[in-house]
Amino acid sequence: MAIVNLKQVTYTYPLTDTPALSKVDLQIKEGEFLAIIGPNGSGKSTLCYTLAGFIPHFFKGELEGSVEVAEVETKSSTLNEWVMNVGLVFQNPFNQISGAKYSVFEEIAFGLENLGVPREEINPRVEQALIMTGIDDLAERSPYSLSGGQQQRVALTSILVMQPKVLVLDEPTSQLDPIGTREVFGVIRSLAERGITVVMVEHKVEWVAQFADRVVALYEGQVLMDGKPREVLTSDQLVGKGFGISRYTSTAREAARRGLWPKKSELPVTLDEAITGFKK
Amino acid sequence: MHERLSFYLKRDSLLHSLNPLTKLTLAFGLTFVAFLSPWYWTPQFVVLIIIIPLSILGRIQREYIFTALRLILPATAFLFVMQALFQPIGKTIIFQFWFLHITRESLSFAFANASRIFAMISSFTLFLLTTHPSELMSDLTRRGLPSQFAYVIISTIQIIPQMQSKAQTIIAAQRSRGLETEGSIFKRIGALVPLVGPLVFGSLVEVEERAIAIEARGFTSTRKKTSLREIRDTGFDKTLRSILVLMVLVIIVLKIRAS
Amino acid sequence: MNIEVNNLDYTYPGAVQALRGVSITIQAGEQVAIVGQNGSGKTTLVKHLNGLLQPTSGTVMIGELDTRKVSVAKLARHVGYVFQNPDEQLFCRTVGEEIAFGPRNFGFDTQKIENLVNDALQLVELTDKKDTNPYDLSSTWRKMIALASILSMDTDCVILDEPTTGQDAANVARIAHVVSELKKRGKTVITITHDIDFGAENFDRVIALAKGQVLVDGPAGSVLGETEILAQTYVDPPQLTRLGKRLGIKKTVRNQEEFLSAVEKLNM
Repeated sequence: MAIVNLKQVTYTYPLTDTPALSKVDLQIKEGEFLAIIGPNGSGKSTLCYTLAGFIPHFFKGELEGSVEVAEVETKSSTLNEWVMNVGLVFQNPFNQISGAKYSVFEEIAFGLENLGVPREEINPRVEQALIMTGIDDLAERSPYSLSGGQQQRVALTSILVMQPKVLVLDEPTSQLDPIGTREVFGVIRSLAERGITVVMVEHKVEWVAQFADRVVALYEGQVLMDGKPREVLTSDQLVGKGFGISRYTSTAREAARRGLWPKKSELPVTLDEAITGFKK
Repeated sequence: MHERLSFYLKRDSLLHSLNPLTKLTLAFGLTFVAFLSPWYWTPQFVVLIIIIPLSILGRIQREYIFTALRLILPATAFLFVMQALFQPIGKTIIFQFWFLHITRESLSFAFANASRIFAMISSFTLFLLTTHPSELMSDLTRRGLPSQFAYVIISTIQIIPQMQSKAQTIIAAQRSRGLETEGSIFKRIGALVPLVGPLVFGSLVEVEERAIAIEARGFTSTRKKTSLREIRDTGFDKTLRSILVLMVLVIIVLKIRAS
Repeated sequence: MNIEVNNLDYTYPGAVQALRGVSITIQAGEQVAIVGQNGSGKTTLVKHLNGLLQPTSGTVMIGELDTRKVSVAKLARHVGYVFQNPDEQLFCRTVGEEIAFGPRNFGFDTQKIENLVNDALQLVELTDKKDTNPYDLSSTWRKMIALASILSMDTDCVILDEPTTGQDAANVARIAHVVSELKKRGKTVITITHDIDFGAENFDRVIALAKGQVLVDGPAGSVLGETEILAQTYVDPPQLTRLGKRLGIKKTVRNQEEFLSAVEKLNM
């Protein structure tokens, strides 16, 4: 059952001539973990905004084609209704803090307050969300006293608590240090394991290869490839277009050219795959 | 990162437990009284007999007195001197120096003015120290203030510490490109554009992201908002607000009758 | 122009001691990567090199200049510092003007400034955007503008503060290209980075900091193999180094070439 259905989606930002997205077809099944890769300017963020309803409701411009989430088309909906179905987390942890709340607990409750959830329900839902993302020890801290990785997990939790059907993450770890990255990926992975539908734009392909169900490669606003992680990430189609390619993949590719990589083997993306391959 | 976004100090006090709108009304009320009352010594009375005891009630007396001495007093003293020297009124000259002269009337007027401003800043300081912005926003939104308005206020309050830390980085970056920030007044003025430019442009990029983040949390939803923390509006609050409004009306009448 | 850091202690106002007894000598033309977890003192150390911070005790000498006695603006002639966020420095109406800002502050003549600007534009692949408004370009290109605006200052030393954070593969490649160009020109390049792969592939010397002190300092080839020491400051070895070790390669490999040569040797 496709919970997200994009058909021939084309979008051009106001005051620009070239479409940022061009005839994109994309279906996402409930519970799937989809990763999106692509060079800067390929339309990844535009796609995220489209899934999250900010295109066309926040950014004007021309949107053609149909964008459906849970069988509701975006043009017949409003942003307010849409954000209840699709949650968005993006790169900069600091900018996602509302600034209106004194503690992490209240910060997470903010979304529920806005949606008019009765007070008796807010408390248990926030507590549940805190445990789900493993930040219950941060509940009484001020959001501004936290590290980047912690703030990003708070942002995630603040969106999750609203129980969206689809979670869209636009490069959630790109501004974080290695520790923060590990923390955030840990949370995302556990969410995916619980069956939450996740769409994540990410450059760190080794991680994507381990945990994503499917990878879509965007290039110049169009879908270049759509398939299983290892297939897409090791494809020759990605070479020379500015895609981030795993060092294991590119090294093995060069090794194959020198006869150092077993001929019939698929190229590796992760460390383990590389070890297995090179051992032969 | 700045831990405190606002001047709010979390304490357990009588003032803190008042409804935010009540405290705001109190601040405005005391200000109006200080400005409109015909009695010359009203501002001093307000500060000494009302504000300081209230600050004790609010358990923030130390912070208030600190702010009053370090910030408010110098600022209003400066105002007083400037007004006394450069806005002369009346004829009774009591001091003359070169082309500057001070009259008894202008001294008196400047002192009254400075005192009123002192009282005004003090009453709002009291308000800021005992009211968390989010509580105020929640209360006002519940009473019907449109959320966009609330957002402008929230983001303005946020912007200050943010801009401060940004400004530090910008200054460091431009100095590292050879910009001299010390020296003659001309140099310092020339240094302003490379400092203010990025502050403004850079902030615009962020404002859009913040707006998106807050939308994603349903901020502009048309549903009636609920609140996690109970913001009480007791009978005492309502009575106090009515008394304050009445008090201001009385002062206005007195003023009209006095003139 | 050598950089000498001698027994440097630094305590931030508010009493956090960020650096303890750090002593480092960097010779002209070296490429150094400084790594370590957040809070280990990397940024604090590097801000001493152009005078933004002054030692609480100890000295920092940039060539013959003592950073306590010279202004930041004067030290900027020798040490260029590329900050992380381009939006916290861009203010001119065109890319060309922005890049000219640094050399103009130095009082160079018009022709010299023109040459420096064109050279910098070419290094970052922005020659055809000289008259464009920086904010009309994407954040990827604004990063390149910020980098170019320091390159045009033609300093003996260039400091890069987390240059690859948030950048896509294409930009990382551009930055790596700039580093290799600077190396060819005999410039000293110092970077603070979390991206250990970027550090390994482009820098010959690695200094790891932990809790304000130097944990290890040496050629990349040996430091990057010290897995347990690096782990103390939450630094993982580069990907190919790890692969090499797991395959039993004795030498610590830093990049693709070294790795493949080592594999070839193994096969023989």
